[in-house]
Amino acid sequence: MTYLDWAATTPPDVGILQRALEESSELFANPSSAHRAGKAAKQLLEGARSSLLSSLAPSLGGNKSPGGLAFTASGTEADQLPMLALLRNLMKGTPSASASQVRPHLVISAIEHAAIDSQAEALGRLGFDITFIKPEADGIVQPFKVAEAIRPTTKLIAVMAVNNETGAVQDISAIGRSIASGAASLGIRPPLFHVDCVQALGKIPLDLSGGNVTSAAFSAHKIQGPKGVGALWHAKPIEALAVGGGQEGGLRSGTENIFGISSFAACAAKAVSSLGARLEHALLLEESLLEGLKRISGSCAVPFGREPRDPRYSPWIVSAAFPGLGGEVLARALSDAGIAVSTGSACSHTHATKGRRILDAMGLPEEYSFSSIRISFGPDTELEEIHRFLSTAEDLYRRLKT
Amino acid sequence: MESLFLIKPGEILLKKENQKEFTRRLIQQLHKRLGDIGCTIEEYPGRFFLFVDERFSARAEFVLRHCPGLNGFSRASMCPKTVEAILEAAESVANKAIASGARRFKVETRRSDKSFPLGSYAMSAKAGEFLLEKYPTLAVDVHTPDLVVNIEIRERAYVYGYTEPGARGLPSGSSGKGLLLLSGGIDSPVAGYMMAKRGAPLECVYFHAYPYTSEEAQRKVEHLALKIAAWCGSLRLWVIPFTDVQMRIKKLAAENSTTIMLRSAMMEAANLLARRIGADAIITGESLGQVASQTAENMAITGAPSSLPIFRPLIGIDKEDTVTMAKKIGTFDISILPYEDCCVLFSPKHPLLKPSFAEQTAAYASLELTPSIEESLSKAEKFVYKYKDVLADFKIE
Repeated sequence: MTYLDWAATTPPDVGILQRALEESSELFANPSSAHRAGKAAKQLLEGARSSLLSSLAPSLGGNKSPGGLAFTASGTEADQLPMLALLRNLMKGTPSASASQVRPHLVISAIEHAAIDSQAEALGRLGFDITFIKPEADGIVQPFKVAEAIRPTTKLIAVMAVNNETGAVQDISAIGRSIASGAASLGIRPPLFHVDCVQALGKIPLDLSGGNVTSAAFSAHKIQGPKGVGALWHAKPIEALAVGGGQEGGLRSGTENIFGISSFAACAAKAVSSLGARLEHALLLEESLLEGLKRISGSCAVPFGREPRDPRYSPWIVSAAFPGLGGEVLARALSDAGIAVSTGSACSHTHATKGRRILDAMGLPEEYSFSSIRISFGPDTELEEIHRFLSTAEDLYRRLKT
Repeated sequence: MESLFLIKPGEILLKKENQKEFTRRLIQQLHKRLGDIGCTIEEYPGRFFLFVDERFSARAEFVLRHCPGLNGFSRASMCPKTVEAILEAAESVANKAIASGARRFKVETRRSDKSFPLGSYAMSAKAGEFLLEKYPTLAVDVHTPDLVVNIEIRERAYVYGYTEPGARGLPSGSSGKGLLLLSGGIDSPVAGYMMAKRGAPLECVYFHAYPYTSEEAQRKVEHLALKIAAWCGSLRLWVIPFTDVQMRIKKLAAENSTTIMLRSAMMEAANLLARRIGADAIITGESLGQVASQTAENMAITGAPSSLPIFRPLIGIDKEDTVTMAKKIGTFDISILPYEDCCVLFSPKHPLLKPSFAEQTAAYASLELTPSIEESLSKAEKFVYKYKDVLADFKIE
């Protein structure tokens, strides 16, 4: 199979997972246990934490404090934590009757992953006001629009670093500066600023340093680690809504997944240290794909006019439209031909709105959003696979287009 | 231990000359569905009695609930024709009903054996008195009781409480065979259920347009077919690969008439298939005016390629009632799974609402689809669902 769905998940780095499995099987004790075996496990856990923190250091460089890093059970959980913590802060010290008098406000980009988007909607049903910031047609959120949305009641702002469908890279530093000046003009302290970095870590040079970012979410299985482990970096302590045994600084209770955490740290270290070479490879693949798409009559990259080596896009993720052929149909036909890609645009009418949420937010005409597929790749992807995709897609498109 | 079910046939009792034939079919259907579990069915005028091993009582209840041709059934106890034995049986019926919340009751007696010493009224009164004494929480209510203790004095005496409704209608096999156009939506399974209740043996046909429609959509239709088989006993599902026919229509037909042309082509294919499998009618889930293609004018055109009668049992049923039925027969939750047949190929922006019969039938003929349709039929895939598959699907032993 030609696997071009790396943005969904990645093939695990078996070598790293194997070593982590051996290590964590050897040091199997509960890191919270006081005995020697527990301490050994604890050491392994903390080693992984400092390793991941140093992998993140280039991105967080300019931050005043190194902040804290809590391992979670997924990128989604890392996204939920700061949002759900708001509930606890709101109720704290306030008689429940008056808690509802001032509706807290969230500013969320309209292209967030469901981990943020659905959670924001759920908070909306609990009494939060939400402002969704639409991106421009190029998929990029304008920093000033985020700043304009800030109100005195704004508690948290969330903008993702790299969009999972279009690959659009958001200018986090500029958005952070914009938030700071927007807040200053209202005479308030800047709200919390959460950044979903799931598609960014180990994939692009991520710069969170100048952005006054207060928290950032990461996931292991997007960089060849195992599923079921993520991490939340936070500049200042967060008081989690869900509590328990108090592991991970109280942020994420539950006995730690040492195997997953060790694997995650090792995968991140490998990805970050080889980022330069990987990026070069990605740019070659991206160029070949974008140029190839231009040669397929009728098809085009989404957002329109995306060119190779445009720093506004992650080279690992390319969306392409094939007008006249449902994205779901093409993805199915490609799958039969042994090529795995994905689609946000489910053909089903009942799910149409949801599936096209991100492309719709960009104002993409329906004909294009409906017919879009996402091609995403990784360091193991070979140029030959891109060529195979292009020729197969061209052939299928010609045959199945209506 | 043997369980006894008293069965009340319904509509077949209204038949005069043919009653015997209908009765034979009903008994045959019951035997076929109950399978090899060593049951016996005794026939008496207006009543059947089914004896099954207690271990298979869940299967018996399932069969009785789903077998068209019977109005209702009850778990009954059988006893000698003595007052004492009848009272004892009545007590056991009441006991069970009280345990599930019955408070107001009445007793009804039917006595076809006139040699029994007590009259019907006297027997009811005696049993009522007896139960009131035994169960002080019970009160008599002849108008809206929540428990009716039925006593039937016939060859033997039978006592039973609650009568569970059956499917009604006519036993499978009493009417001509129908070929159901099954789409995966909410309506067509309900149409199949309704015709199954009229005694029509069914076969189903599904037009698959891979890759435009997904494998999941086909799986969904297969599951729906199995749910319909619960009512008609068994069926065959024909999956016709229709992509090439659709592509031809898309290429040759006017954009605003693609839906009519596709439906006409499906009807032509169904008609050919029906002839081959010996079906006497075609069944669709169409309902007047529900969508643009289901107007009277459209149905005249889309029905034209079939020389067999087309049954549309939902024609005058509104969506809400159809949904209620779909929920009742367990097809609704399957139908609403998000694998619709996403015929993006065939959703014209402005479909014809009042097309001309002459123009459209001529336009259809000019597409010359018959060879493509024949080709698609030759590639049909056949799925057979027997009653044992139904029982397995419903997890009935």
